Amino acid sequence: MAAFDYAPAIVLLPFLSFLVSLGGGKYLPKGGAFGGIAASAGSLVLSAWVFLTVAGGEVYNETLYTWAAGAGEETVSLTFGLLLDPLAAMMLLIVSLVSLLVHVFSLGYMNDEGETGLPRYYAGLGLFTASMLGFVVADNLLMAFMFFELVGLCSYLLIGFWFRQEGPPSAAKKAFLVTRFGDYFFLVGVVAVFATFGTAKFAGEGAFPVLAEEALNGAAEVTTFGFAPETWFTIVGLLILGGVIGKSAQFPLHTWLPDAMEGPTPVSALIHAATMVAAGVYLVARMYGFYALSPTALGIIALVGGFTALVAATMGVVKREIKQVLAYSTISQYGYMMLGLGAGGYVAATFHLMTHAFFKALLFLGAGSVIIAMHHDEDMWNMGGLKEKMPVTYYTFLAGSLALAGIFPFAGFWSKDEVLYETLIHGLGGSPLLLAGYAMGLVAVFFTGFYTFRMVFLTFHGEPRTDIARDPHGVRWNVKGPLVVLGILAATVGVVNMVPVEKLLGITGIDFLHQWLDGGFEALTAHHYGDVLPYSSAYIGGETTTVAVGAAVSLGLALAGVITAHVLYNVSDPDEHTEKLGAIKTLWYNNYYQDEYQVWLAESVVLPVARLADKFDQGVVDGVVNGVSSVSLFAGSRIRRVQTGVVTNYAALLTLGLVALLVVFGVMGGWFA
Amino acid sequence: MVPVQWYLLLAAAVFCIGLFGILTRQNALLFLMSVELMLNAANINLVAFSAYWGNVTGQTFSLFTMALAAAEVAVGIGIILVLYRNFNDVDVTLAKEMRW
Repeated sequence: MAAFDYAPAIVLLPFLSFLVSLGGGKYLPKGGAFGGIAASAGSLVLSAWVFLTVAGGEVYNETLYTWAAGAGEETVSLTFGLLLDPLAAMMLLIVSLVSLLVHVFSLGYMNDEGETGLPRYYAGLGLFTASMLGFVVADNLLMAFMFFELVGLCSYLLIGFWFRQEGPPSAAKKAFLVTRFGDYFFLVGVVAVFATFGTAKFAGEGAFPVLAEEALNGAAEVTTFGFAPETWFTIVGLLILGGVIGKSAQFPLHTWLPDAMEGPTPVSALIHAATMVAAGVYLVARMYGFYALSPTALGIIALVGGFTALVAATMGVVKREIKQVLAYSTISQYGYMMLGLGAGGYVAATFHLMTHAFFKALLFLGAGSVIIAMHHDEDMWNMGGLKEKMPVTYYTFLAGSLALAGIFPFAGFWSKDEVLYETLIHGLGGSPLLLAGYAMGLVAVFFTGFYTFRMVFLTFHGEPRTDIARDPHGVRWNVKGPLVVLGILAATVGVVNMVPVEKLLGITGIDFLHQWLDGGFEALTAHHYGDVLPYSSAYIGGETTTVAVGAAVSLGLALAGVITAHVLYNVSDPDEHTEKLGAIKTLWYNNYYQDEYQVWLAESVVLPVARLADKFDQGVVDGVVNGVSSVSLFAGSRIRRVQTGVVTNYAALLTLGLVALLVVFGVMGGWFA
Repeated sequence: MVPVQWYLLLAAAVFCIGLFGILTRQNALLFLMSVELMLNAANINLVAFSAYWGNVTGQTFSLFTMALAAAEVAVGIGIILVLYRNFNDVDVTLAKEMRW
């Protein structure tokens, strides 16, 4: 139990580092970097301890602080608490590890490059780490929402870190507004959950997913506002999904993420690849017991995910800047996770969340290393031939790229393959919608392989295309160290869940992640979700064949993409080739005109509606209020003329009043009768 | 003994004369006199009822009223003096600044 007593410190340590950096960062060496490193290392150690304790079979679900207690009957209490189960423990480990590595990397990317405003930077990183960890351990939906918002705030602060330039502040505003748009729905969803269930706890007695399940069985009564329970749960689920789509950059709210690349690269690694964007997917996984009850919501999640995976992958194909390619690949990979969750592949999606966190953090940090070497030039067409100049970066980046492209046996292969496999078998089991998602996912695999290796070849292979690329800036241990750690993880972390190997060779017991996520609270286990899910499975000629065919197809497509990239770009002096795409190139290069479309939507639809509402407010609502007051004013201006100032008139009025009173008394008293 | 009705009629007549003075005159001094008439109409009532019920409280009360009337005249004369100083007249219709 001791580990759980110290668990709040996992969140509080980075928060402390935030306060220290903010208050005294300029008096500290390295702008407060060491405080951040120490805090995230402390969080990592405590997370590991919690992880081991959870591995020992213990779980924790306690309310620590009630900040608004309900009084009387039928009220709700708003609380903070910790929920430490296998999913949370795994995520804690990922977030604190990536955060630690990013802090170390920042020494090389920010301090060594002589940036100013470092205390602000490290304060932002600290606050971000604290809020993300707080989100991960949240035991109820409201607390999760609050930390979700804090994460968004940190994203805003860090994207706009270089606020004196033109691009970053506008990108920061865009990220904040777009994710906020989704979060409005999330907030309404939180209120709906409270109104429906009277609680927002994720686990334990009377948790809302459990209540929802009982309500569908008829074992419990909840308020559904006149809807059938299933319809209402779908509505609530979709409201919360709004926040998820915003934060996890799913279509159509993905537009903020590529712009967010204006922030410092370590921030991109930490926030826009490994953790903050993961918050959305993690939220769905956290309350998966609720989503599993609604086939409609699942279908929408799967379809949005598959579509996003494909659309983002195509846009990544034509980008010139290394971080832009990575940004679109991030959107695409989160699409896979959503596809996996929607298709009932809870473990698969969580697995992909984990492997993606490692290899995408690696790729962003690798890109950061390249950017340092290139004196902050991000255009891949100015690079080339960096392989010999920076071998550590090259080989780790290659490991990350192989993982991203899904090449056997790197981490991404196992997780992406399992996502696609789950989608396929559940699709064959009578859900044609999932087959559509599967098809989009498969096409995206080809594009992923292509754009990933286009990036690798353009950056590291061929002849250097500029003078800077001929003589790049060196990087130090603080850049290489995190790269090596993540490189090893990206190459090997797939072993935690080698389901295809298990199924093909018949070795049981190596699907460690499945076993891991089967532990903890009964209602939050993978097999419980499996029982609740509305899907059934079917296979193409037996389970083993399906596994083999699925893996072979996705691997084949990924390899086809890599080979295409090899043919086109792995030459000493590559051409752009994108002209051959014709009009599609323009379409992809302009991101399907999503930004233009959204601006059009804001300017031509929302603005006139807002103007109309303003007119209504100014004209009708204010008109009524002003009308009432002008009547009083007018009446007052007339009646006040009674006050003539002439004493005789007052006397006359007094007399008249007396006479009137006498008459009234007389009539009432019957004197004249 | 004179019936109480006669006293009451007398008092009502005196009161009405005072009221008529207030409503029709513009001279502040006449105002003061009219007010005194109304006050004494009330005094007559007090004394008449006191005699009618055989209770001296009313008569005592009328003594107080007379003392009050004396004080009131002192204040009233003061006001009239100020009125004269400011307007060079004792016409009450001149002082009408305190209005809307």
